[in-house]
Amino acid sequence: MPNETRSLPGKSLLALAALVAVAAAPVQAQEPTGLLDSIHRHKTLTSTVTDNGDLNPYAVIVAPISVGKIQKDDILVDNFNNVSNLQGTGGTIVDYNPTTKKTTLFAKLPQHLAQCPGGIGLTAAMAMLKSGWVIVGSTPSTDGTTRTRGEGCLIVLDSNGQFVTAWTGPNISGPWGNIAMVDNGPTATLFVSMAGFSVPGPEVRDPESGFPVTMKKATVLRIELSIPEGKPPEIKGQTVIADGFGHRADKDAFLIGPTGLALAADGTLYVSDAMENRIVAIPDALKRTNSAGTGTTVTKDGLLKRPLALALTVSGHLLACNAKNGQAVEIDPVAGKQLYAQWIDTNQAQSPPGNGDLFGIAMTPDGTGFYYVEDDTNFLMEAAR
Amino acid sequence: MTDSDERTLRATRRGFLVTTAGLIAVAGSGIGGGAAAAIPADAKGTPDATEPAKHDIEPFWGKHQSGIVTPAQTHTYFASFDLVTTKRDEVIAMFRRWTAAAGRLSTGQTAEPLGYDAQSPAADTGDVLGLPPSRLTLTFGFGPGLFVKDGKDRYGLAAHRPEALVDMPVFAGDQLVETRTGGDLSVQACADDAQVAFHAVRQLARLAYDVAQIRWVQAGFVADFGKKATPRNLMGFKDGTGNPSVGDPKMMDQFVWVGSEGPDWMRGGSYVVARRSRIALEHWDRMNVGFQEQTFGRQKLSGAPLGKKKEYEPVDLAATDHDANLVIPENSHVRLAHHSSNDGARILRRSYSYNDGVNFTAERWPPWRQGMEYDAGLLFVCYQRDPRTGFIKIFERMSKFDMMNQFVTNTGSGIFACPGGIGKGEFIGQRIFEKA
Repeated sequence: MPNETRSLPGKSLLALAALVAVAAAPVQAQEPTGLLDSIHRHKTLTSTVTDNGDLNPYAVIVAPISVGKIQKDDILVDNFNNVSNLQGTGGTIVDYNPTTKKTTLFAKLPQHLAQCPGGIGLTAAMAMLKSGWVIVGSTPSTDGTTRTRGEGCLIVLDSNGQFVTAWTGPNISGPWGNIAMVDNGPTATLFVSMAGFSVPGPEVRDPESGFPVTMKKATVLRIELSIPEGKPPEIKGQTVIADGFGHRADKDAFLIGPTGLALAADGTLYVSDAMENRIVAIPDALKRTNSAGTGTTVTKDGLLKRPLALALTVSGHLLACNAKNGQAVEIDPVAGKQLYAQWIDTNQAQSPPGNGDLFGIAMTPDGTGFYYVEDDTNFLMEAAR
Repeated sequence: MTDSDERTLRATRRGFLVTTAGLIAVAGSGIGGGAAAAIPADAKGTPDATEPAKHDIEPFWGKHQSGIVTPAQTHTYFASFDLVTTKRDEVIAMFRRWTAAAGRLSTGQTAEPLGYDAQSPAADTGDVLGLPPSRLTLTFGFGPGLFVKDGKDRYGLAAHRPEALVDMPVFAGDQLVETRTGGDLSVQACADDAQVAFHAVRQLARLAYDVAQIRWVQAGFVADFGKKATPRNLMGFKDGTGNPSVGDPKMMDQFVWVGSEGPDWMRGGSYVVARRSRIALEHWDRMNVGFQEQTFGRQKLSGAPLGKKKEYEPVDLAATDHDANLVIPENSHVRLAHHSSNDGARILRRSYSYNDGVNFTAERWPPWRQGMEYDAGLLFVCYQRDPRTGFIKIFERMSKFDMMNQFVTNTGSGIFACPGGIGKGEFIGQRIFEKA
């Protein structure tokens, strides 16, 4: 074989160095006014792969109390894939204790539950109530694509990870993004994005764009819960407070639709509208009795690259994880301004680095950093000062 | 036995070359005739043609089993067997047959003396007649199932299971297929010819009918890069640079051979761990070379550790660049595998590439590609004095944090205790059966 066919391009290392330099610095250098510019360390906390081979971590939540198997401030992470690698088949939740640094299996659901149409595939929709109940969404498939998508359900687990009940109904179809919540103890209000509704498999293409056909039926559902003492939560009311979001199948990402939810103190619900590459605001989310449609645009494009999960910082900024690169973006939603993007996952195994790797995000209890997952390596990560 | 056994060819396979033409002619005449045809010649009379070159033969008998510190041949055929008999005597009889056959095969002979009887199956499948011994080695191992299976002590050996023969823990990212995992016995056949290696296992499987049956097999290859060159694996990197030297008996005693801590039948033996590691070559081939090198911790062309110039320069895990970043990344393969990252733990790797065509697969990384992909990768094989302080210790952390995990999925696994070497007149496992 001629030598030149075995030679390596010398510039690839230079390219790598340049990329790392970009990754290490905020994309926009400004006076420190937010959280991301104070974040300098990214620490691997644990592997989220379970003994049964489940992987592809999605939801990240922090436990509000100690109860059952869970200690306060534990981080719960669920898995969307099972050992077959197929998306929409994972059924496990792991519990990482930041004090002991131990990772344990919190829950392992069977592949099929009679109460959950289509099977089990745990999504980014997960919440833990102060009463100890854990609620987690399922958007299942049997072949890793939406071709075999089931309508899914919201599953209620007790604090020992045992299945209690599952909620289904005409408003529940593909519970997908991270849950925003107000938890008063005996009552709670949850917001869940629903990205299922009529989405066909990725083989059904829009002849104009060539992409899988886009629907406009995704919603945000508000769920009012009553939690009687010592008893599981019950749904007391459901209101679709936003609808008409674009959503579609994706061969790689399984499903694209409204994903991130964050509830501001003034009752505004922020939603990451992945299809439109924007963040929108749904006003009066706690009390409104009708749908705000797709709300009003807070910010669009710029540093956003298909935003996924959202978290709210102490100062009221939004952190959004980008699907299409490994960056987190900080946004001042009141000013409608994008502040920074930091390349929190620089893994070059994807292109651009970190593409498809991020999903869930949650603030640390002290608000000085955040937890996130890396789907490529199945790590729970901590971003800290 | 038939008359033809009396005229058995005692020749080596190479010796058979001189009579092949005759055999074909005779065999041809026998077809349809139904009569046992005589093979006219004993080829042993032509020593120059019959004696294989010395370098073609690896010794079967000795203090250690061959195929462990033996310089790697170019092909392997690794087989795992399930014992299906419940009778101890049948197992012993099979080991006797295997021992005799292995001794013969290693010197290029047929598995059993080859006669000719058109009415009977041949004593050897004959597919390597005419080929040299090709440095064939056969290495035998005992899996946990020989001792206890499904809670049953089938052969009275339960009390003799070595502590070090642990059940393999589940590692992060394992996607083990049951039909490629475990087994009661292992046979690692290695040779400089693929057909010779396969032939050897095929003969042993024939001699095991009704006693043991194949559970899984994996063929592998490693090209001949030259005596002093470290072979490259399918990822294009040199693989094996950091191995302890097989030419250093002290190191082998320290890391590979079981010593006085083990049962006497294991002394001079070793524990083998075999893993079928599928590599997402399509994914890997899309990576920048610089990132591939970061993943390995070595340079692709030279094999030198990052920050060094030559392959065998010592790995400097403490080295940092001008920004205080580690030169060899924190989760690079070399760093995590290095003995200084593992309390000095070392194993002797003896791996082969494999290539089983393509099949439908779903990758386990974004962008979650699905489709027909190469089922190719590495048959990772390593030998060690104790797997608890060898492979298991090293891989526990690697399975979670190695950057390579983004490209590699373990789909099969086995652990086996390879007893000490077999002396002439002994049979495989004799010392354990005598104890029990």
